[in-house]
Amino acid sequence: MSLFAALSVGASGMSAQRVRAEALTENLANSETTRTPDGGPYRRKDVVFQSAPVGSPFSSVFDTQMQSVGGVQVADVVTDTSAPEMRYMPGHPDANSEGYVAYPHMNPAEDMVDLMGAARNYEANVAAMNAVKDMIQKSIDLLH
Amino acid sequence: MSFPVSGISGINITDAIRPIAGVGQSSSSGFQDALNSAIQKVESTGNEASASVERFLGGEGEELHTTVLATQRAEMSFDMFQQVRNKMVGAYQEIMKMQI
Amino acid sequence: MLDSLSGDIERYMDLLSARQKLVASNIANADTPGYRTQDIDFQSEFASAMGGAPRANAVSGLAIKNDGNNVDMDREARLLSENALRFSVASNLMRGHIQMVKSAIKEGAGS
Repeated sequence: MSLFAALSVGASGMSAQRVRAEALTENLANSETTRTPDGGPYRRKDVVFQSAPVGSPFSSVFDTQMQSVGGVQVADVVTDTSAPEMRYMPGHPDANSEGYVAYPHMNPAEDMVDLMGAARNYEANVAAMNAVKDMIQKSIDLLH
Repeated sequence: MSFPVSGISGINITDAIRPIAGVGQSSSSGFQDALNSAIQKVESTGNEASASVERFLGGEGEELHTTVLATQRAEMSFDMFQQVRNKMVGAYQEIMKMQI
Repeated sequence: MLDSLSGDIERYMDLLSARQKLVASNIANADTPGYRTQDIDFQSEFASAMGGAPRANAVSGLAIKNDGNNVDMDREARLLSENALRFSVASNLMRGHIQMVKSAIKEGAGS
């Protein structure tokens, strides 16, 4: 892949980190949600990344230099299946017959740290794209 | 009083060209060689540049700097060819101006 | 014009481009489980007489995280800047070289 395809790689990184950030934000917003449309407390979402070949939108099918590993994509968004956290709150409207309320099973601090990581990696991908863009511009400048 | 008049000898054209040309070739084929070599360069660098541009436009993973450098080389080869050709034309004109 | 200096500079630029592509891939895959950092052996590729696409290798000496990923963002950030700067140097050198040859041709015209 040429330097132009490296732009696509950076873009794929930005996309993937954004999906991850969205899932983490949703987790954080719902860390105390006891009632969802499907019934039961909110279940945490996790994003799984995998490497994916990425070409430039301008590349032909005959681009022989495309390597099998290049960009990244979201392979799956996995919903947590572990048991919810039960808290004893008899007065709560969602309490069950024994007085326990099912809360989402998650650690907000962990998701907060992950969210910061996602934001930082998003910016790293932006920096990569800018560096590649500058190199391409330098090549153009060779045309006096 | 009569002076011995020798026959008119032919002019050695290459000797006349030599000081003007500055190429330092000892025969008239020297100019031809220089011109042929320049033409070959123009052709090869020109073909390489065209092929590189085609590969770039066709998205076959050709690096932009490769294409740019190939076109620059073709341009320089052509400039060089023009200079050799101009020198030849200039030398020819000098010879034509000479009173025989 | 087709001298070895401009050929060398061009090869240098080819290798820097290849390296930067791998840096971009490493950065994009910084959170991909099982992904291993890739690089090219710059000096040996540059020294080797053969042209063609350089080979991507695994990088040794990087710590592997729990999910199998060993991308070190600091390393990649450093390489990102360094490759871009070296490319800039090479392209400026090339431009100077081209201008020198062009003016040598023009000087020949005047004589």
